[in-house]
Amino acid sequence: MVYLLLILFLGGGLAWLSERWHPQAPRWVALGAVSFALLYLAVAVMRLPAEHFSLLPAATQPDTWLAHTRLEWIPRFGIRFELALDGLSLTLVALTLLLGLIALSSSWSEIDQHSGFFQANLLWSLTGVVGVFMALDLFLFFVFYEVMLVPMYLLIAIWGHEGRAYASMKFFIFTQASGLLMLVSIVVLAYQHAQVSGSYSFSYFDLLGSPLDSSLGFWVMLGFFLAFTVKLPGFPFHTWLPDAHTQAPTAGSVLLAGILLKTGAYGLLRFTIPLFPEASLEFAPIAMALGAAGIIYGAVLAFAQSDFKRLVAYSSVSHMGFVLLGLYAWNSIAVQGAIVQMVAHGLSTAALFMVAGSLQQRMHTRDMSRMGGLWLNAPRMGACALFFTMASLGLPGLGNFVAEFLVLLGLFQVAPRVAVVAALGLVTGAIYSLIMLQRSFQGPGDPERAVPDYGGREMATMLLMIALLIWLGVYPQALLDLTQPTVDSLLSEAGS
Amino acid sequence: MRSTELLPFVVYFAAVILLVATMLGLSWLLGQRRANKATNMPFESGVISVGSSQIQLSVEFYLIAIFFVIFDLETVFIFAWAIAFFELGWAGYAAIMVFIVVLGVALIYEWRSGALDWGQKTRRGLEGAPPIEETP
Amino acid sequence: MSGVNWWAIAPLLVLSGGAVLLMLLVAARRDTPLSWITTALILAAAALSCLPAREAIPQAVTPLLMADSYALFFTALFAICGLVTVIVSHEYLGERHGENEEFFLLVLLSTLGAVTLAYANHFVALLLGMELMGVSLYALIGYPDKLELPLEAAIKYLVLSAAASITFVFGFALLYAAVGVLDYPGIGAALASADNPVLLASAAMIVAGLGYKLSVVPFHMWTPDVYEGAPAPITGFLAAVSKGAIFAALLRWWMASGLYELPGLLTLVALVAGASMLVGNLLALLQDNIKRVLAYSSIAHMGYLLIVLVACGLVADPHLAKEAAAYYLVAYSLTSLAAFTLLGLLSRASGSKELASLDDLTGLFWRQPGLSLLFTVALLSLAGIPLTAGFVGKFYLFSAGVAGSLWGLLALLVIGSAIGLYYYLRMVYRMTLAGDAQPAAVERPGWPARLTCYGLVLAMLYLGIVPGPLMEILRTIL
Repeated sequence: MVYLLLILFLGGGLAWLSERWHPQAPRWVALGAVSFALLYLAVAVMRLPAEHFSLLPAATQPDTWLAHTRLEWIPRFGIRFELALDGLSLTLVALTLLLGLIALSSSWSEIDQHSGFFQANLLWSLTGVVGVFMALDLFLFFVFYEVMLVPMYLLIAIWGHEGRAYASMKFFIFTQASGLLMLVSIVVLAYQHAQVSGSYSFSYFDLLGSPLDSSLGFWVMLGFFLAFTVKLPGFPFHTWLPDAHTQAPTAGSVLLAGILLKTGAYGLLRFTIPLFPEASLEFAPIAMALGAAGIIYGAVLAFAQSDFKRLVAYSSVSHMGFVLLGLYAWNSIAVQGAIVQMVAHGLSTAALFMVAGSLQQRMHTRDMSRMGGLWLNAPRMGACALFFTMASLGLPGLGNFVAEFLVLLGLFQVAPRVAVVAALGLVTGAIYSLIMLQRSFQGPGDPERAVPDYGGREMATMLLMIALLIWLGVYPQALLDLTQPTVDSLLSEAGS
Repeated sequence: MRSTELLPFVVYFAAVILLVATMLGLSWLLGQRRANKATNMPFESGVISVGSSQIQLSVEFYLIAIFFVIFDLETVFIFAWAIAFFELGWAGYAAIMVFIVVLGVALIYEWRSGALDWGQKTRRGLEGAPPIEETP
Repeated sequence: MSGVNWWAIAPLLVLSGGAVLLMLLVAARRDTPLSWITTALILAAAALSCLPAREAIPQAVTPLLMADSYALFFTALFAICGLVTVIVSHEYLGERHGENEEFFLLVLLSTLGAVTLAYANHFVALLLGMELMGVSLYALIGYPDKLELPLEAAIKYLVLSAAASITFVFGFALLYAAVGVLDYPGIGAALASADNPVLLASAAMIVAGLGYKLSVVPFHMWTPDVYEGAPAPITGFLAAVSKGAIFAALLRWWMASGLYELPGLLTLVALVAGASMLVGNLLALLQDNIKRVLAYSSIAHMGYLLIVLVACGLVADPHLAKEAAAYYLVAYSLTSLAAFTLLGLLSRASGSKELASLDDLTGLFWRQPGLSLLFTVALLSLAGIPLTAGFVGKFYLFSAGVAGSLWGLLALLVIGSAIGLYYYLRMVYRMTLAGDAQPAAVERPGWPARLTCYGLVLAMLYLGIVPGPLMEILRTIL
């Protein structure tokens, strides 16, 4: 796992340096690094014995995890360089690397300035995200969580669109400031642990069972919750997201929507709820209300947008509301639904941002009122857009449907009324998605307009994602099997 | 020291303030005020002052004054040592020697950098220096 | 004085002997390269002399000085900072008109003052160190004596510093009147049994005097003007060494005399800390001169540091808080030195005007990647982003704050850091903008300066990524 991080990190450095050698070199180096990392992960996973995947990853026994590394780092505070992989992490790491490839492909011809530094930042933010998904020492987790923001900030600030200064600044300050709250919470947690056990520890395994008195626990939990909800983003902390997504270069949007948002969801699932089961239970109604509000609010705002990317960004807010709901429903079905939603949303939204990016590159606008009838000019692009719009609105047979269905199913057992409100989100989702498609690709068009259709590279990327979404929609059991042990163990840790 | 012991200080402080305030206040209250041209002129025994008060002295005067203060003050330490010569013994002797050597070095430095010259400076770089620049 | 192991104060001897030697050298032969190399060697020797000095500690050298590992640690830090300043100054002064030999001499003397502060265990040593450092700094700030801004800054610093010193001395006079001793442990012992309103007044005056030097709110007014006016390397020295030394001395006094036992004082310091964090960060937002931004940010950082003093008073075992202060000081010194190194090197070719406005940064990232890497890392470290020294320092502060349950101050720290991100990032953003063709063929700095830059970047990253060793050192010596 350390090698995985090293491959990406060094790949980034190498990509930067290779710019001197040849202007085309960085993208090949980056491609090589990500593919190599993906290959490395695949081989490493293949080598594991099959029965390993059905073990419950118990908090107290690191060997029940798929992989586990622990190195001393800062002994003064009992901080260790501790990485571990279970089904959930594996899924998300694989998704990260895959979307990394897709982001590379989407920016293949878009970036012509300082491409070496661009690829380096891309790879470094991938490193950070992969680290987030694997770190099990809270300090280490925090480090990755914050560090991945810096290259992301640079990606938006240097290669973004016209409003990039504002957007990148807002993105960074929102996430960083909420992160600091989490740091305070982490330190409080470790300090409490030290009071009880006599030594500092930031290890997830140690802190999991550490007792906390309930009023303090609530505030500490709130610190975590805020950080992750800002990242998710949950209503009402979503305001950074439309700006950042809209202004980011395509690869940045793909990474942001595809995986950075998932770190928030992952944090909630992995840390907030298991570490503070009681406080979370107490807080669940509020969290669910926020989730439901996010679904409806995001959908309504998406409906009102005329900017293609902004619309997709608001739809993300809506979709991530489902994740929040699924997590706080806190039963096996709903949590599984949330995980599937993370993957499916990652794929479908990333693809929609790619479509938006290629439109911007070809037409130099994101304003849908200046599009329309694009199907005439670029039927392949239109077909892809149609497919991913359908996926995004939850067409049965595709990944998102499975996810939303599971979430609603699980949620209904816990909070039927919230489930009813959330189900409205499916309807509104259909409305704004179809409107988007109609305004941009359908309607009267101009056959003379020079909008080149997708080429081979772009089609290959799209087909890959289409295949994955169909697979997820038709046979989600593979993914569910992979993450089931993790979910079971988390549920039992938190006492359901 | 208890807080009651502070009382004399407080009374004293208050008395000082009161006295000064009374003196200034009374003269302000009782004094006559006229806005004549002569009111703002410096009072010099009835003689009208002549010339500008801003006389430009050569900067060397200040340098010499400062050197005098420095070296004169240093002798104070040497006197203090001389009085306690036998009590301090060799350690004191060593300490004062270090002191005097440092003083000597300072003198050499000043001499060599031309601080002791009157008028034409031998220190290079001072002639032809540009005037102070005004920053906008 | 018999029976004193002279090794214990070896750095002090090296520095003061070196200063005398350098004076003779300048008298004998005016030669800038010779004098800067000599100065650099003396400072390096002072830093190195801390190693053999370790054998001779702990030892009280006269009641004034306490040679212990605390003193040696900060001595080494200040000497190294002085060394960096000297190297950068050499580049900065370059072919500038006038005689630059005394510049190095003054840096040496100022460092000597800082080192004395690190050793100070008595009011007299504290005052001596402070004045030695201050007086040399007045001259250093006004060194470009043909320019208006530095002269203004020097006068301002002189007047306010003198006011601060007077307040400070008056405070100590009151303290002496109340307890009758002036050495730290003696003060502590007397404080434990004394109950006197004069004590609080005197402590408040002393804190006010030191607060001037540390530039915490409400004694911060001089900071932006002096920072802006002083030559960039000297601003760095002021930020890193002067403030660091005053804080180190304050911390030692605070701990040795158990000042935190005066409950009113603790509240006072907490208020000052909170105000500094808020005011510093908020006013920094309004600036468009980098030096002024950094000046206000230094006010905020000093506010962060004061949290430690408050925490010392509230926890049973102040060990963690002391470590936090030391680590933060190291990180902050290196970081601010790095930031001002960039400004110093940037302004080399610009003649009399310093390049320090935000616009001067535009496109720097593509013009001079090496320098801007240095600056970026420094800014990230100031902002407390992980993997830099500043983050570990901030983490330490959080730990100390949590241990003392200082929720209010911690909340301000979070808010302050969030505001801080904005102006730090604004500078990073400026550097990444595609610059208008502004070639200004700046020649590369000489190898010592380049080496220093790389060294600073590596140090900031090393302390951020592998903080373990320094933490261990701090744990054993504090």
